[in-house]
Amino acid sequence: MTTSDTAVLPGDPHVGVPDKQGTASDAERLDRAMHSFLRDFGANNAVYLESCVHCGQCAEACQYYVQTGDPKYTPIWKIEPFKQAYKREMGPLSPIYRLLGLKKRVTAAELAEWQELIYDSCTMCGRCTLVCPMGIDIASLVGSVRHGMEAAGLVPHDLKVTMDRAKTEGSPLGATPKVLKERLAWMADEHQVEIPLDLDKADILVTISSIEIMKYPQSIAALAKVMRHVKASWTFRSDGYEATNFGMLGGDRVGQRQATMKLIEAAIKVGAKVVILPECGHAYQALRWQGANVYGKPLPFKVLNISEYLAEKIAEGKLHLKTDTRSVTFHDPCQVARRGGAIAAPREVLHALGVDLREMKDTGAFNWCCGGGGGVVTIKRADPLRYRVFQIKMRQVDDTGAELLVSTCSNCRQTFDDGQAHFHWDKAAHSLLELVADNLAERS
Amino acid sequence: MGGGTLLDFARGPGMEWALAILVFGIVWRLVGIFTLKRPKDLAEPRAGASAIGAMWVIISRTWPHKEFRERVLHWEVVSYLFHGGYAVAILGYAPHILLIRALIGISWPGLPGGVIAFAAGISGVALIALLMHRLNSPVLRKISNFDDYFSWLVAFMPLPTGLMAYYHLGGNYEWMLGFHMLTGEILLAWLPFGKIMHTILFAFSRGTTGLAYSRKGAPL
Amino acid sequence: MSNETISESFRKAGMSRRAFLKFCAAAASVLALSPAEAGEMTRRLAQARRPDVIYLSYQECTGCLESLTRSFSPGIGHLLFNDISLDFDDTLQAAAGEAAEAARMTAMKKAWGKYILVVDGSVSPKDGGVYCTAAGKSSVADLQYAASGAQAVVAVGTCASFGGLPFAAPNPTGAVPISEIVKDKPVINVSGCPPIAEVITGALLYYVSFGVPALDRHGRPVNFYGNTIHDRCYRRPFYDQGLFAHTFDDEGARRGWCLFELGCKGPVTHNACATTKWNGGTSYPIESGHGCLGCSEPNFWDRGGFYRPLSTPTGHWSGAQVLGGAAVAGAAVGVAVAGVARARQNKKDDHKPDHKPADKDHDRNG
Repeated sequence: MTTSDTAVLPGDPHVGVPDKQGTASDAERLDRAMHSFLRDFGANNAVYLESCVHCGQCAEACQYYVQTGDPKYTPIWKIEPFKQAYKREMGPLSPIYRLLGLKKRVTAAELAEWQELIYDSCTMCGRCTLVCPMGIDIASLVGSVRHGMEAAGLVPHDLKVTMDRAKTEGSPLGATPKVLKERLAWMADEHQVEIPLDLDKADILVTISSIEIMKYPQSIAALAKVMRHVKASWTFRSDGYEATNFGMLGGDRVGQRQATMKLIEAAIKVGAKVVILPECGHAYQALRWQGANVYGKPLPFKVLNISEYLAEKIAEGKLHLKTDTRSVTFHDPCQVARRGGAIAAPREVLHALGVDLREMKDTGAFNWCCGGGGGVVTIKRADPLRYRVFQIKMRQVDDTGAELLVSTCSNCRQTFDDGQAHFHWDKAAHSLLELVADNLAERS
Repeated sequence: MGGGTLLDFARGPGMEWALAILVFGIVWRLVGIFTLKRPKDLAEPRAGASAIGAMWVIISRTWPHKEFRERVLHWEVVSYLFHGGYAVAILGYAPHILLIRALIGISWPGLPGGVIAFAAGISGVALIALLMHRLNSPVLRKISNFDDYFSWLVAFMPLPTGLMAYYHLGGNYEWMLGFHMLTGEILLAWLPFGKIMHTILFAFSRGTTGLAYSRKGAPL
Repeated sequence: MSNETISESFRKAGMSRRAFLKFCAAAASVLALSPAEAGEMTRRLAQARRPDVIYLSYQECTGCLESLTRSFSPGIGHLLFNDISLDFDDTLQAAAGEAAEAARMTAMKKAWGKYILVVDGSVSPKDGGVYCTAAGKSSVADLQYAASGAQAVVAVGTCASFGGLPFAAPNPTGAVPISEIVKDKPVINVSGCPPIAEVITGALLYYVSFGVPALDRHGRPVNFYGNTIHDRCYRRPFYDQGLFAHTFDDEGARRGWCLFELGCKGPVTHNACATTKWNGGTSYPIESGHGCLGCSEPNFWDRGGFYRPLSTPTGHWSGAQVLGGAAVAGAAVGVAVAGVARARQNKKDDHKPDHKPADKDHDRNG
């Protein structure tokens, strides 16, 4: 991710042809996409697709439009083929549209053209959903469209490679069970903390993301320290540890299901009452909010984001913290806060830490996306665009005057790290979990 | 001489058909949406999630959150001038109220004609401004289609024709009155088939998101 | 039948020139003529011969003639004896029967091409004209003959002007207005049910003085029919303020508020009621508390009902039935379309990958 600023932006006519997977013909791709779209044309999506009044406000909330002024980044425009297909094939007025030829069929070329709008320039952050006067959940519509794109083999290569790796190796970054074991042993040793793996029974199943395993392994140690401090009954499982869900991000229904079921089955096996999701945004979306629907019945355990678990323990009086009086500003990961609802928990933790919390002007559910979610950070050709939108974050943080930037998502963290390097910025993103672990007030 | 005038048509079959098409179209479109498959959400809602919180979004989304206001509020205000003036002109004018009473049996006191004319004037000017915006804004130019422009015209026509009828401008009053009624009937007949259906859909689209997000604990 | 001028006839009746001038001034004001026109009318009337007038009645209720006899200015007496020579009117005259008809024919022949034909009531051409006959002759034939010798035709009343009551649905006699039959002579429609007396006499007087007046698109003199009742209604301020009577005896009614809600058709009715009023300026329907019926307009009987406000539908449909039917139809179409759409979803949904780990559809990875 060291592409220079001068590289052309996606969608520029000089950029190469959209990525295609496989050797299927255009007609076949289109057919598969339509097949997938049809499945996603349920009543909820239908209400949204019928309700757009073309007011254009969604563009004003979208970091991509705000930073570039390019109208093609208008969020509802990103799903235009999906909307057209719905109106032509599924909507109540569809017989009229077809009979009178009022809506054209979506073409394979259009789908390919839309690839960069659906993937490179959308993190499904959901700000558009918040501004839409009709309350349309545009972000979730993008998620639906990705199913069709994936079925058609029209995913950006970089993302597809990551998705495939997740399916075949169990981790998007090659953090296989073997690698996991090694890293856990290493962290346990280096930080002198027990990290249980593959216990038969435990109250809590803890999951982790490959980003932490490969890039920020110290946060695993931080987690173990916290669990030791609160005297939890917990374990990692090598048959169900990967919290990320690139299937969900890329639109691969099978991959999504596979990753989710691993966690669910592992949790059931150990009889877990609680499953903890790590500092990862979309992991929360995948299990907490979509897990039961993938499973087909309510989950037999509680699902908590790590920040929620920490807040819970603080409230129960089980987690004791030293005071850190530094000034801190908090970046809300989109999928945890705005789209996940866990907005208060991280702040309760920061409050318990006694930091001087300086909220960004647009904060909580209204915070801006780091630009790396939704799989975007894996798409190299999207880097120039990502750096453009990252400038919003830098401005936000600098405006608070805080000395420390904290968040609770490793993907945001790596996006911040990359942006920091690119812009030679003086702020690094810190993990809330690590901050807590560094400030545990041990008693006897 | 003795034949139907435009006014007679507008008060007679024109009204009848327009109302029938309005109801037919609305029910068709709503039923056609809500009899599609509805995925059930099996995720456990965040403690405290409620239907009231869900319904709140239907109301709260009427005004933009402060974080977005700098970029959207000015045109939203113009839009409300259009909608508000339109509502006052329709619901506050005694002849219109009598039409509603003839159809559904309820009525309320009306406002002076001058107030109505003023409201209609503001509404019309705002609507023209919105059209200019749609034609000039790169975002709106990109996403706008036939429906946007046709619906604009259909919504606009009752305003100048109503004002002209009210002030007896434009020649034969009876014809202008009949024409004004006809433009209203075209509006009613078109309503279910284009974007003007948002008058009804807004509650459902906002409500769907409100329900989904209140379950998540973020009903904004 | 007369060779004397109108002013001579006035003098003969013992009225001074001053009385004649007052008469002309009053007539001119009813016609809303300008001072110059009023002066001109006086001059012309003074020199004009008393024109012969034939008054024929067909499918009518005699209300128009009754109204005419209530004219104050010019009074019917004046009209009959001073301004015109009414050679035939089967209601007013004493004579009847074949002798009267013969007298009519004589009068018409004597003034052939010069008499003014005044007609009230519609005529009925249907089925050979059997539905309205006098002395074995159909109204249509009679009218055609009478019109052929007239210099102009004045159609008094809405029946003559537009068909009126006989024309109202279902119009069993096939009634038509006078202007449907008379195509080759000027026809002045003085509509109203009945017309105001002064409007009838004023229109006649105008014709005698100046000829055919400026007519609106329905052939009515613009002097009297140029404005709507609404334009000149004294209750207009209440309309503008939005103050309406809701019933005939509520507070609004007692306070004299606008009668729009009670079905007043003033806004679309052209007549002189609001200014000239009735019975020598005594009152007019709205002033007496009843909404305007629109009686000087074509088809006023069939425009949805006198008590239905102008803005409400006129259809005789039951709103509930039509809208209920529309809703049911809409629901049926909606369900059908969604049903077909869902079937297309299901048809392609052979396996449900959400419940099966291996999805053959997604076996392809590039």
